[in-house]
Amino acid sequence: MVLKDITTEIKKGEIVSIIGPSGTGKSTLLRCLNLLEYPTSGSIYINGIDILDKKVDVAKIRQKMNMVFQSFNLFSHLSVLENLTIGPIKLRGMSKEVARAKALELLRLVGLAEKTGNYPDELSGGQQQRVAIARCLAMEPEIILFDEPTSALDPTMVREVLSVIRRLAKEGMTMAIVTHEMDFARDVSNRVLYMDEGLIYEEGTPEQIFEHPQKEKTKAFINRILSYTCRITSPDYDLYAMNAEIEAFCDKRILSKQTRYNLLLLVEELLQIYRPYLSRVALEMTIAYSEKNECLELICESAGEKVNPLVRENLVDDLGLMIIKNLSESIDYKWSDGKNRLQFVIKKTPLEG
Amino acid sequence: MDLQTKKENNAIVVTISGRLDAVTTPEYEKKIRELIDSGDIYFVVDFDQVDYISSAGLRGLLLMAKLLNAKGGRLCLANVKGNVRSVFGMCGFNTVFKIGNSVAEALAVIA
Repeated sequence: MVLKDITTEIKKGEIVSIIGPSGTGKSTLLRCLNLLEYPTSGSIYINGIDILDKKVDVAKIRQKMNMVFQSFNLFSHLSVLENLTIGPIKLRGMSKEVARAKALELLRLVGLAEKTGNYPDELSGGQQQRVAIARCLAMEPEIILFDEPTSALDPTMVREVLSVIRRLAKEGMTMAIVTHEMDFARDVSNRVLYMDEGLIYEEGTPEQIFEHPQKEKTKAFINRILSYTCRITSPDYDLYAMNAEIEAFCDKRILSKQTRYNLLLLVEELLQIYRPYLSRVALEMTIAYSEKNECLELICESAGEKVNPLVRENLVDDLGLMIIKNLSESIDYKWSDGKNRLQFVIKKTPLEG
Repeated sequence: MDLQTKKENNAIVVTISGRLDAVTTPEYEKKIRELIDSGDIYFVVDFDQVDYISSAGLRGLLLMAKLLNAKGGRLCLANVKGNVRSVFGMCGFNTVFKIGNSVAEALAVIA
């Protein structure tokens, strides 16, 4: 990916998240900062030193600014402890004893003190990434660059890694984080860069970017990533294809098995109820999850005549409605701007029978 | 959904596995109709391996009960549990249908 006209400044202690669609240069930007890729022009200053100056010692720069990769990049032939001590001993000239003591302290920080003697392939993905973060910290960097640190992880392991990064953020570490975890980016960052087409398309505080994005592409991206929307235009919709997409959304948001069961059942019941209308009007179904409130919402919008499909006289029988009512904390119907809008807040608790 | 049948004494034990939803229920109804049309009127439906049911599946069971009532037949369900049992409960099906804790118990109910 070619980067163009990138100008930004990251202050000491600042946490900057870099978000945007795949292939828009986010990782390339981080790799340029760490000189894993060499820009053809421009300047990168760290503490006033232009790191693109040929006289600069790249190894020293990398000690100040370390990177955590998507695929962990641990040394598979070394134990966890050795992974943490090799850098400080070889590159920083630290004694074995001091490096070992420091490594143990860092492994405790990431919750893996009991894994010192294990090898990377004996650990889960989440544990390997936490070791990678501890290894990065062992070099005592002033800046850490995270390149999609959770994207290679099983959804159940994402939280353990994010909580370690959150802890570093609280301790004032300067960080640039390329991430697809939007709730995390919103919570942890001081500033968010939205990248598209190789440039910083929009930047601002998390509130500006996530709540009030100004530019079209940012708006479209934010809406797409925080919710799942599908448009059903025929009574012969493919339920299982939809289910697969909803499951993928639930995986991303790390929703419990029970919540996804409730959601899939609610979606099927609603589609059955909407079926008679689908030959005349399209149905837009949006599922949105707020991590902050742990609230899962489903919104059905359809144009055409004003009609609430959940009203009893519009139903074949009560069965679907009974299930829908049991699955929902609240149901709200509105007619506005020529659209029927039904909004459900979905229960997280086990079904009551 | 997969549907297996076997004869036990006078009754047909129908074992369903997977989902009973809007997609699979028409197939379920078709097979049940065929069995009833061929003269079988005593049924046990084993839900042990059913992990999902929607109102479409419940309607399939109601249709089955209706067809059997018309022929003087009997129906008992077995092993209805977990989320499937909850969906039954939401719609009052726990009281509409006879439900045994096992296939043997259900067979005894319709004997």
